[in-house]
Amino acid sequence: MATLYKTATSEFMDVDDIREENDRQHKIKNRVLLVASRGVTFRHRHLMNDLEALLPHTKKEAKVEAKQDMDLLNELAEIQGCNNVFYFEARKHQDLFLWISRAPSGPSVKFHVQNIHTMDELKMTGNCLKGSRPLLSFDANFDSEPHLQLLKEMFTQTFGVPKGARKSKPFFDHVFTFSIVDGRVWFRNFQIVEKDPETGGSMKKNDKPTLVEIGPRFVLCPIRIFEGSFGGPTLYENPRYISPNSVRAAIKAQKSTKYANRVADTQDREIRAEANPMPADPFKDVFE
Amino acid sequence: MPNEERIYNESMTGDDDETALEIAALQSESLLPPPKKEYIYHKEALTALLEEISQKKLKWIHRCDITSTEPVVVDKTEDDLDRELKFYQQGLEAAIQGKQAVIKAGVPFSRPDDYFAEMVKTDTHMAKIREKLLAQQQGIQNAEEAKKQRELRKYGKKIQQEKLKEREDKKKASLDKIATIKKRLRSGDLGDADDFEIDVDSDDDANFSTRSGATKRGGKLAPNKKRQNKNDRYGFGGKKRGLKRNTADSAGDITGFSVKRNKSGNFSGGSKKGKAKRPGKAKRQRGL
Repeated sequence: MATLYKTATSEFMDVDDIREENDRQHKIKNRVLLVASRGVTFRHRHLMNDLEALLPHTKKEAKVEAKQDMDLLNELAEIQGCNNVFYFEARKHQDLFLWISRAPSGPSVKFHVQNIHTMDELKMTGNCLKGSRPLLSFDANFDSEPHLQLLKEMFTQTFGVPKGARKSKPFFDHVFTFSIVDGRVWFRNFQIVEKDPETGGSMKKNDKPTLVEIGPRFVLCPIRIFEGSFGGPTLYENPRYISPNSVRAAIKAQKSTKYANRVADTQDREIRAEANPMPADPFKDVFE
Repeated sequence: MPNEERIYNESMTGDDDETALEIAALQSESLLPPPKKEYIYHKEALTALLEEISQKKLKWIHRCDITSTEPVVVDKTEDDLDRELKFYQQGLEAAIQGKQAVIKAGVPFSRPDDYFAEMVKTDTHMAKIREKLLAQQQGIQNAEEAKKQRELRKYGKKIQQEKLKEREDKKKASLDKIATIKKRLRSGDLGDADDFEIDVDSDDDANFSTRSGATKRGGKLAPNKKRQNKNDRYGFGGKKRGLKRNTADSAGDITGFSVKRNKSGNFSGGSKKGKAKRPGKAKRQRGL
């Protein structure tokens, strides 16, 4: 065999080239570390589990308390051999923030995660192979602004399953869509059904496939983009982002004005009544 | 495509109350903190960073990203149906394009029918989904059936009323006839008329009543209505024990239960108009 191989390599000069290219491609290892902070709710945890099930190149870590020292996450990523980190940070046991970072040198993005629907919900009827590679579908809006372009590249590197990743299956049966509506990134996951929806039989050659949603669903509202991993100078700030805290405060303030308004009205009425006393009726005693 | 329709019929409205509140709060701008004057946005730095981290030199099959030809534009973000349709279209375009690109790269796209492997959603979960879908369809069918029945009942009532009216008319007509005959006879032969009159009268009421109200049945005097009820209630003949106790059947009997009445909150029954209420004091005095 060895001689055969030798002759083959000598005869076809480009075999080496092919091998080299293969090697180079094998070196691209996008691995993602999934970490949650303390205080995530069940819904947040389920979302994390869904992502773990869908992305075979992820590694889940135990919860960490990284409020002060975000550098800890870079170290964790290094230990686990990951070059990307998804850090799910829960605040007040209700708000979920997602950090997507390229460890150890950056950049990193902080998102507010909204409208979470996990795969456990029975409304989404699709299903796909565990570990099959997804197609990544991006909205054309992603090319319109530099910060969105950066997001697109980061999503491609984190949500895309590398070819030949461990535990991955060699087929494509689902598509992740990333769309921009309202300045936020909407994530959907669809199964590609290549069967006739009426008969269930195989499709004709020119028929369009149909999509069935698998889940999960979530919306990522970008807050900031940092140059470093979990820190460093800010490169982008979202002017349209309103923190959930101030939204709650606004709701509360609105509710609180209800009582204050009523009290003010009562006082006003009293003052008015005093200022305009009823005129005395001259015919009051006519019939008595 | 039934699949497509199914997806978009289910709008996920889990967070509706919350979002309504949030929107209301956001509209009252004064309650929110005053907007910051300047937001950081370093476009050049972002572009440079993108160049640095870009893996665009990789072959497409390693990235699997597809950008839509048309940007997603949604008029109203709250319009679930429209928004999800746009996402679906984006995903579908990607699926079609992606399949071509994958096959072009010499990688299998579709999973062969005999390739079985672990799925993202387990079989039990999928069974649950199927069950729910079936239940939903059943519910729709049941509702339709009930609607049809209601219509029929409405129609049936009409028929019943017509029948009753017809019967009454018939009775009236026959009475008129008798009256005319009587009149004729009275004017003609008085002696004969007396006998005839009795006959006619006795024809009118079917059963003979005694003074006490007891009804004669089969030659034996049956007890009056009050006695009958008392006999039923306190027993006259038959076993006395355990009659008032619940049995399994009677305990499970819900024929007397009405959801409407149960939800109405008062025990007087489901009728909308109860007893006329005593008018208020002022009204009563005015009435005097």
